[in-house]
Amino acid sequence: MTTETVLIELDPAVPASEVLEALKVVIDPELGVDVVNLGLVYEVKVEGDAAHARLTLTTPGCPLHASIEAQVVACLEAVPGIRHGCVELVWDPPWTPMSMTDEGKRQLGFF
Amino acid sequence: MPPRGATGGAHPLLPVFALLGGASALVIGTAWLLSVPQVLPGFLGSPSAVALTHVFTLLFVSLVYLGTLQQLPAVLLVTDLAWRGSGWFSLPVFAGGATLLVWGLASGFRPTPLAVGGSAVVAALGMAAAQVIATALRSPPKDPASRGLVAAVCYLFLTVALGLLLAAARTSAGVATAVGYPAALHQTTGIVGAFMLGIATSGHKLLSMFALSKGGAVWRLRVATYLTHGVMAASVLAAVAPVFGGSPALSRVAGQLAVLLVAVVAALQFFEVGALLRRRLRKRLEAPVERYVLAHAFLPFAGLMYAVGWRSAAVVALLLGFVGLAVSGMLIKILSFLTWTRAFGSTRTAGAPPPLLRDLTRPWLEPVITAGLCLGALAATMAVATGSLLTARLAASALLVGAVAQLAQAATIVGRTLARRVGPATAVVTTK
Repeated sequence: MTTETVLIELDPAVPASEVLEALKVVIDPELGVDVVNLGLVYEVKVEGDAAHARLTLTTPGCPLHASIEAQVVACLEAVPGIRHGCVELVWDPPWTPMSMTDEGKRQLGFF
Repeated sequence: MPPRGATGGAHPLLPVFALLGGASALVIGTAWLLSVPQVLPGFLGSPSAVALTHVFTLLFVSLVYLGTLQQLPAVLLVTDLAWRGSGWFSLPVFAGGATLLVWGLASGFRPTPLAVGGSAVVAALGMAAAQVIATALRSPPKDPASRGLVAAVCYLFLTVALGLLLAAARTSAGVATAVGYPAALHQTTGIVGAFMLGIATSGHKLLSMFALSKGGAVWRLRVATYLTHGVMAASVLAAVAPVFGGSPALSRVAGQLAVLLVAVVAALQFFEVGALLRRRLRKRLEAPVERYVLAHAFLPFAGLMYAVGWRSAAVVALLLGFVGLAVSGMLIKILSFLTWTRAFGSTRTAGAPPPLLRDLTRPWLEPVITAGLCLGALAATMAVATGSLLTARLAASALLVGAVAQLAQAATIVGRTLARRVGPATAVVTTK
């Protein structure tokens, strides 16, 4: 069962789907799969020129959290039209490998 | 309060130095073994054999352990490490003390270096144990792996404290009369309490992460932790019963019970790793993770050695095979994480993604490490069992090759991270 990312738009400068697409350049350096296909991004909200991403990590206390957070913020703010990016890290619901997209699973050799 | 993703470990340079130091020590130790291969088929209580054992257990395994403790408790307990700067004291003191201790052992159990070096090692590991306990008090462990790790660190401290007691018993008749010579207790505490439990608990977390093996019952780990405490209680009883006038039969039965419990703990760990692998979703494991898994093949092998009466060989199989391969696998994985986090952890540049962890290594070195250490451990076990000098030479050569490859891999990881001379990151995946 793949987790669907919730997209919320409030007078957006850029479609939330476009912002989500931009996050695919953030790659988990251990797994080699981007955060979107890993199913780590639970929600993307675009309100005017501000983008907010709600995401989790593969495990609480993941040592890579600082890098992934920083990369996500950088990518949000790199989207033309977005001036402010922020990240909210959540653990509920917890991530499971089943949250991954089929493409993410394929990359990791599930199939 | 928002949930934390933070893991406030010590400065990454601390564990990096410790892991590089451990990898270097293994090269020195195996080169030394190659120069005196007769220690394997010879008397394992000789100064050279005991010194070489402590190069492996202290300067390789425990130094890596101590370095890992600068980060791992914060990850496992999801909190900031207590006294984050204390590693700047404990790590150098430990490394210096352990080196002095090894020199004291190699030079014929000289009392002064044993006392000074042993005290330094005890002080350093005492501080590390206190640090882990203080961290656990900030965020009490909620799962068997975290609880077991805290216990394993306490057993590591107890091991070196018993080692210091052994050194004192060698030089003082009064101490020897009062406490006996608890060498078996020192050995059991180290191998089972500190190393086996430490590998089982930290490995459970790391293997779950690296193999994407989520969920599942952890009853084996919980039971193994309790049984490890049982091993320790039985071993203490076996050691102290003769000193306090207990019957020799009581001591013997307690010793046999401890061995039986060790076998059950080893079996539980073996099957727990199997269960983790069965439910993993990442089918292709990376080479260092495979090495960690392969280490567990030495558990039944050691049991077989013990069953046929080759007890010293069983200990060698446990130490070099199980502990050595498991620590080697963890060393490479943890080192790449640490250096990557240090170099790229705060990167905020879009468009230039940092490298993947696997880009930091030379893949061809991994099979050399695994083959060298695995063949070396097997040959060393057989050399001890059969008394063959030729097999001992083969063991020392193979171990040296594996250790050199491991050091080369560790140096590559650090060098590539520092220079950022890595290949391009994997192409971005697109969603349908």
